Amino acid sequence: MSRPRPVPDEVTAFYWEAVGRGELAVLRCESCRRFHHPPDVACPHCGATDLRAEVVSGRGVVFASTVARQAFDAAFVDEVPYVLALVELDEQPGVRILANVLDVAPVPVAVGTPVQVAFEHHGDWSLPQFRVVSP
Amino acid sequence: MSGLTRDVAVAGVGYSQIARSGEFDVRNLTLAACRGALDDAGLAANDVDGIVEYQFGQGDAPLAVGTQRMLGIANLHMFNDIMGSAPSGLASAMDGAMAVASGACETVLVYRCISRQAGHTGAIRSGPPEAPGPAQFTAPYGYGGGIILAMAMRKQRRIAELGGSYEDYGQIALNARRWAAMNDRAVLRGPLTMDDYLSSRPVADPLLVLDCDYPVNGACAAVLTTRERAADLRQPTVVIDSLAYGTGTEPDWLYGADLLFGGTRYCSERLWSRASVGPDDVDVAELYDGFTHITISWLEALGLCGVGEFHDWVDDGRRIGPGGDLPLNTHGGQLAEGRMHGLAFLTEAVLQLRGQCGDRQVPGAEVAVVANAHGPQCAAMVLLAE
Repeated sequence: MSRPRPVPDEVTAFYWEAVGRGELAVLRCESCRRFHHPPDVACPHCGATDLRAEVVSGRGVVFASTVARQAFDAAFVDEVPYVLALVELDEQPGVRILANVLDVAPVPVAVGTPVQVAFEHHGDWSLPQFRVVSP
Repeated sequence: MSGLTRDVAVAGVGYSQIARSGEFDVRNLTLAACRGALDDAGLAANDVDGIVEYQFGQGDAPLAVGTQRMLGIANLHMFNDIMGSAPSGLASAMDGAMAVASGACETVLVYRCISRQAGHTGAIRSGPPEAPGPAQFTAPYGYGGGIILAMAMRKQRRIAELGGSYEDYGQIALNARRWAAMNDRAVLRGPLTMDDYLSSRPVADPLLVLDCDYPVNGACAAVLTTRERAADLRQPTVVIDSLAYGTGTEPDWLYGADLLFGGTRYCSERLWSRASVGPDDVDVAELYDGFTHITISWLEALGLCGVGEFHDWVDDGRRIGPGGDLPLNTHGGQLAEGRMHGLAFLTEAVLQLRGQCGDRQVPGAEVAVVANAHGPQCAAMVLLAE
């Protein structure tokens, strides 16, 4: 059984289009210049609605991490144990993306570990994931 | 004069049977808890003119008007069915208190009924093959099980950011069993050692199964009315001194600005700013323990313990146990009484303030603080014995 496939919508289409190009993009407010994720229709910092997708470095650090020992979705029964992390992007404190951390032992990745985005392909769609990198 | 328009009291509390197994009709559970609360208060069903309940919307509880019908109440002046994004079962009492305070109704019945099936978020489910909406950023990564994985990440982050040890979390779990041993309603009454806790099954490292509450079938209810009316009823009066909600900034279980505390600190600040007492006056604390992390957050957010100081403060469990300075979750919480989902923290506080808790009674308890949930859906109350 395969992973649930993300379904883009009007607000999130830019994100998945960027992923398709091998890039990570995050919404940035044209008014206060701050980023936010997940994408919303107004800036959660200032309320402005003039938002623009901006390609980011894909670098960040692990803010928090866990290892799922049991599956909650039947699609992941064969995946356990798998590592998840909230990655805080280098561009701005507080902007965090959930992903799996690839190619690591099944233990939580230490808080503060530097990571870099890596794109995982699933047939005709892709997912942004992260790999640990040297500081 | 409290911060409410009219002073509100909790006049009665009631419970259904609480059980881990067996088939129960949620209507029977709800009816038992509601009738229990009315009997406790010395009120008849037709004295009730408001009903509020909280549910996940998965068939876990009858609607407010369904309960009205079961109780044979001719009409209601106020009712509400609160959904899962609000602060757990306490949300029903928050809403009920505001309805009485405002004068929308005089006497409100509030309840939370939960079935094990609805409450068991750790079960494997066959999700849809596609993830639209907010799930598009989480479901493809195996982020299921409600907030279990977010709680696991909080536990990992807390130790890294604030220090302490995983044994700190174990103190909450061990404490629950110490108190539950004196509560006939509790489902898990056997003792627990730190070794038992630390060697329990990992659900999502570092979260252990004994960090999680225990799903049961059960219902819990309370009757709220004006302080003036409560004074004429059967039980000693317990007044709501203050109530507060909190969401935090960029509110979300996963992406919220303050992952460790969610809205608990905002809620606590608001709660004490409107109370006639302060954290140093608290005799008994009944703080949500759906996950052990939540209880530690509330203790620190409420100022019962300094932020990041739980490890030393808890004094190997003595601080929060029977005979301790701050008796905590004296019914055993959801970790041991069973996952009643929030409202049972209020009803236990009421029983403590009435001096009716038998072997587990906290001597001279006059001030209680009750808190529910975490993340973007926090609420708390201060209760006073009259």
